Amino acid sequence: MTQRIQIAAVFIIIHLSFGYVVYPNLIYMLTETAHWEVIICQCLLQLILIWVYMKGLNYFPAQNVIDIYLKMGRWAAIIFLTPFAINLIVLASLNNRIHTEVIISIFLPRTPYWAILVLLFFISVYTALKGLGTILRSAIFIFLFVIPLVVLNIFSSSVNFNIHNVTPGLNLPPKFLLEMKFFYLLGFSSFLFLGFIASKTKLLFRQLFAAWVIVTLLSLSIVYIPLFIFGQDTVVTLKNPFLESMDSIDISWFSFNRQAIFFGVLLVGLVILTNSVLFWMIGTIMQKVYKWNASYWISAFSFIALIIALVVPNKNLLEKYFLWSSGAQAFFMIIIPITIFIYGFWSNGGVRGHGKK
Amino acid sequence: MRNKIVNEIESKFSNQGDFFIEEELINKTTIFLIGFKTLVDLTKSKLYVQQIANSNTSVKALFINLNDEINVDTEQMIKGILEGNLVIVSEDGKQNAVVNPIVQNLRSSISEPKNESPIQSSTDAFGDDINTNIGMIRKRLTTASLCHCNYEVGDLEKRKLSMLYIKGRTPKSLIDKVDRQLKGIQTDIDTIDDLNLQFGKRRLSPVSHLFATELPISAIHSLKENKIVFFLDNCPFALVFPNLLWDMLVSIDDRNFPSILSFMLRFFRVIGLVATLILPALYVALVSVNPEVFKLDLALFVAKSREGIPLTAFLETIAMVVLVDLILEAIVRLPKSVGPAITMVGGIILGQAMVEAKLVSNLLVIVITAVVIASSSVIGMQNSLYIRLLKYPILILASLFGILGVCIGFIFTIIYLASLTSYDIPYMTFRIKKEGEIK
Repeated sequence: MTQRIQIAAVFIIIHLSFGYVVYPNLIYMLTETAHWEVIICQCLLQLILIWVYMKGLNYFPAQNVIDIYLKMGRWAAIIFLTPFAINLIVLASLNNRIHTEVIISIFLPRTPYWAILVLLFFISVYTALKGLGTILRSAIFIFLFVIPLVVLNIFSSSVNFNIHNVTPGLNLPPKFLLEMKFFYLLGFSSFLFLGFIASKTKLLFRQLFAAWVIVTLLSLSIVYIPLFIFGQDTVVTLKNPFLESMDSIDISWFSFNRQAIFFGVLLVGLVILTNSVLFWMIGTIMQKVYKWNASYWISAFSFIALIIALVVPNKNLLEKYFLWSSGAQAFFMIIIPITIFIYGFWSNGGVRGHGKK
Repeated sequence: MRNKIVNEIESKFSNQGDFFIEEELINKTTIFLIGFKTLVDLTKSKLYVQQIANSNTSVKALFINLNDEINVDTEQMIKGILEGNLVIVSEDGKQNAVVNPIVQNLRSSISEPKNESPIQSSTDAFGDDINTNIGMIRKRLTTASLCHCNYEVGDLEKRKLSMLYIKGRTPKSLIDKVDRQLKGIQTDIDTIDDLNLQFGKRRLSPVSHLFATELPISAIHSLKENKIVFFLDNCPFALVFPNLLWDMLVSIDDRNFPSILSFMLRFFRVIGLVATLILPALYVALVSVNPEVFKLDLALFVAKSREGIPLTAFLETIAMVVLVDLILEAIVRLPKSVGPAITMVGGIILGQAMVEAKLVSNLLVIVITAVVIASSSVIGMQNSLYIRLLKYPILILASLFGILGVCIGFIFTIIYLASLTSYDIPYMTFRIKKEGEIK
């Protein structure tokens, strides 16, 4: 039971980590009214994918995604998982870089970005090297440390709300469903890690559903807080809408000047854990597919990721690359659950047929 | 006329000042009493032997009545002498016995705990004698499923080590692993840390695999929680394996109060733990790196309290923190009569003088005092020491990265503690699963 709570905590933390920095911008670009439709549609799409994924994984008890691909054949594992691992490297490095930029703008405007980048990297790699158990256990404590701050953010921001900034319209037909960026949104919600843990614990869909509900509610709050404060017209011009909405809050009785500090503290917890999960996934994939100690892979690939994060020159390019990377991620998010499901359905059907004979 | 065996034993112990060989005449035959004066109460033991001799007709019957361990080889006799037993050899050397003598009283009786102060609970504490300690457990936990295994570990000296667990509760796989490890010990076990190292490499880690407690009630509670308890002879502690984070925050004594009060106590311990770790770091971060976080009037207040202080916030804090840790260490080492004087000099005179000399700010004195008090709120002396150690890395990170450093340091501490395991049991687990319990 504890393990499932830990997994749910990791699930929520990863979603929040990606959610806070890039998610609102994408939503504001997609639509001008009825933002909730986008969020709900995106979350439902994700829920369907999770369901397919879980169904597929449940065909193979006590096996993770890599085992299943290896069962299909070594070539299948190489074709599907190597690009995925490379994509994860890019995602991890850009994720780290984006968070670093935000953290610098909150805490330390005069510190060079590489110093913070190296610090965050070191801790994520350390966590990844220590393995899944460490990640899951620390997730609970980081969750307990982060969630009060999220709640604090949400409640403290309510003093600046102006209800008239948002018109809760209905936008039919939902044109955004056909836009590429809508699918890009998926790339930020990494539920794929569930398949990498399944070998240890049998996951139940209804427990994940609870985590999914929390994620949906938090996504709504992330998008709607800047909207309530600034309105759609202002929000599209902002670089980090959530950060700026936190900066705009001023509570007279509170002893701290900037609510953004709490936002920054929260981001640190999120990015360290998310990156360590990504690195751990890379390590697991490479170890199983290419047979070499996972810690060597993690060290080598995290070093590459660090170099990538260091060479990206500015923030605009960073966002562009990040979008591409998440596009690739979105591709894998659709392709991996579906292949697992189809293969499970097919092979299981075969076995059943065999049994009847 | 001394026979061969007696001569052999005598030559073996020829350079021992407290070694004795006494001749006794019983039923017209001579017997030799051999042992150490420092371990055996010779006068009383002689009396005891004579009394038994009076009720027995022959020497042979006397030997049989004295003890089960009769007619052993010379090796075992020497071992018996070293263990503080009385060895009796007949004149011709054909008969011998290793007798449990009336011993010199070298043990202090059961006293009150020195390092722990239980509230609303039994105040007996473990002593130096291993058998007394196990007896104290047995007396309180009268069940047949309490298992007790004996080991003799060490290279130079064989030291007695006992393992206690409750059969059917403590996982069998864990007991097997520990048993194998204890049987394979090659080096001397002088300290708790020597034993600790046997359970896995943690030489550089401040967190021990073993939790030392003086209180029988706490040891019994650990046994009931599916843990293993070790006793080392001449070590007045029950060593609970594995040590968990929870042990630092939860004591069985808490449960003597209504649950809401025990929850409050535990909550305060958590606050104490977190405060010790981050308060000094937070001071440095807020004063020197991120002063803009505070509202203007508060920032001005902080700035004013630091007015005219020549040291940087980091130096000032580290100096105070080290000084306080020195005072705490000194108080432990000093005789009880001098302790209060040092406390006064350290606390009042030095603190006051430092503030008046404008070496440290008033605010820092408050922070340091709070940290010292908070660090003692957790259970167990070693736990208090290790969280005092863990505050230093966070302090250094804070001086470099400000609030970010505090935050990263804290998260890193969490991750580090989460990565610790003893035989696959994580340090941060809440409880150990019972034998046969489904995962």
